[in-house]
Amino acid sequence: MSLLAVFLLMVSTVWADPSEPLTAMPPPGEEDTVPYAVVPYDPFDDDGDDIYDDEGELLETVADPISGFNRAMFVFNDKIYFWVLKPVAIGYRAVIPSPVRVSIKNVFYNLLMPVRLVNCLLQGKGKAAEGEFGRFVANTTVGVLGLFNPAKDYPELNPPEEDLGQTLGTYSIGNGFYIVWPVFGPSTLRDTVGSIGDWALNPFQFMQLVNVDAGALTSGTTNVIVYGVRTVNDTSFRIGDYEALKNAALDPYEAFRDAYIQNRNSRIAQ
Amino acid sequence: MIPKRIASVLAILILMVFPASAVSMDPMAIIKAPIDTVITILNDPQYKVAGTKSVQRDKIWKIVKPLFDFDEISKRAVARNWKDFTDAEKAAFADVFAHFLGNTYIDKIQGEYHNERIVYIGQGFYSDVYAEVRTQIVRETVEIPVNYRMFKNGDGQWRVYDIIVEGVSLVKNYRTQFASILRKEKPAQLIQRLNKKLTEQNKRLAENG
Repeated sequence: MSLLAVFLLMVSTVWADPSEPLTAMPPPGEEDTVPYAVVPYDPFDDDGDDIYDDEGELLETVADPISGFNRAMFVFNDKIYFWVLKPVAIGYRAVIPSPVRVSIKNVFYNLLMPVRLVNCLLQGKGKAAEGEFGRFVANTTVGVLGLFNPAKDYPELNPPEEDLGQTLGTYSIGNGFYIVWPVFGPSTLRDTVGSIGDWALNPFQFMQLVNVDAGALTSGTTNVIVYGVRTVNDTSFRIGDYEALKNAALDPYEAFRDAYIQNRNSRIAQ
Repeated sequence: MIPKRIASVLAILILMVFPASAVSMDPMAIIKAPIDTVITILNDPQYKVAGTKSVQRDKIWKIVKPLFDFDEISKRAVARNWKDFTDAEKAAFADVFAHFLGNTYIDKIQGEYHNERIVYIGQGFYSDVYAEVRTQIVRETVEIPVNYRMFKNGDGQWRVYDIIVEGVSLVKNYRTQFASILRKEKPAQLIQRLNKKLTEQNKRLAENG
């Protein structure tokens, strides 16, 4: 029955409806400034962004003065992914059952609440800040120290993830230039500054900053181990995504650079 | 009683005469039906047997292909340089680009399909001819937003001209790459590059069954 419905839907979509306007035309007034043939018109793009300037020179989505270094680091990180991270994450995924991996992810997300909360506040997003706090309270109590995510089903408790790079972006601070860090991956000057600020707000680091001596918890080794576990755990949910984007690219380095910038811009706009 | 019956007969008649007007107004339904069919095919045990991957791939491609306007996608991805393409080059480019994208993404979902769910969040209309369908791929705990941008083509049918995955436009991503290649090379060379990638891809896919 449902198959029939699917079939009918598919067949009926093929029929044209003569009563509808026939051509996809940009709204009036738009053609004057942005000729459709030159810049593909996309009404959902507020920047309308052409990748050429008035002289027809190619504009880069982000400045890349250290592209030699970046390309080398891109290759380095690619090897780390295929030789170390991916095999480890596949083994980890095979050994650790999905609910446990989900709980580990939840705990990290919960612990990093201060980073998101502070950045909501810095961006004047009161509702989102309330949401972050509400989520933390719900998941820490009902969710047993963040192991579970009972806040999941309440959209107001799930605001978009904010970080300092985005906050600086909303203050109209540009990307600066593109940097590919070994191990940490793509970033920009602005987002690197942001990451350092956010790093100070992670609980282990914060204890150290305010001179709470929590012994092993605040040691550098712990930080490295925690970062490693988090990276492997996150990767275990996303095996294959990196490969897909890489295989789909003619120039993987440029594809990832562009994807990074587009993704960041869309988050800043949120 | 009689008016009620007349009304229902009339309703059926109207539905029979104008089936498309109801559907073509709804881009989400146009996306949803084929995607649901694809998921059925991905779950179908008959394709879990070795050596059936290419049959499955062809079947998925046949269902998915009509959703997209690859001429429009090509034109938008090549952008300003499109005017330097001859008509034959435009056709050749759209054809190879379509197959390349189809291969890449179908291979990806075939290899990594782990009972992801598709959540249809909503659709927004910019005008009568532009719409955006917002969906989410839900995989365990990861939610990947995927938006389909559609326009109503000359035949009054909704077709996808861009896909936005986590805020990253596929068209724009290729635009940057194509532009930097076309800065140094001719359209024919870009088509040749794509053809070469497609051949390698086909070879690899054939080896994997």
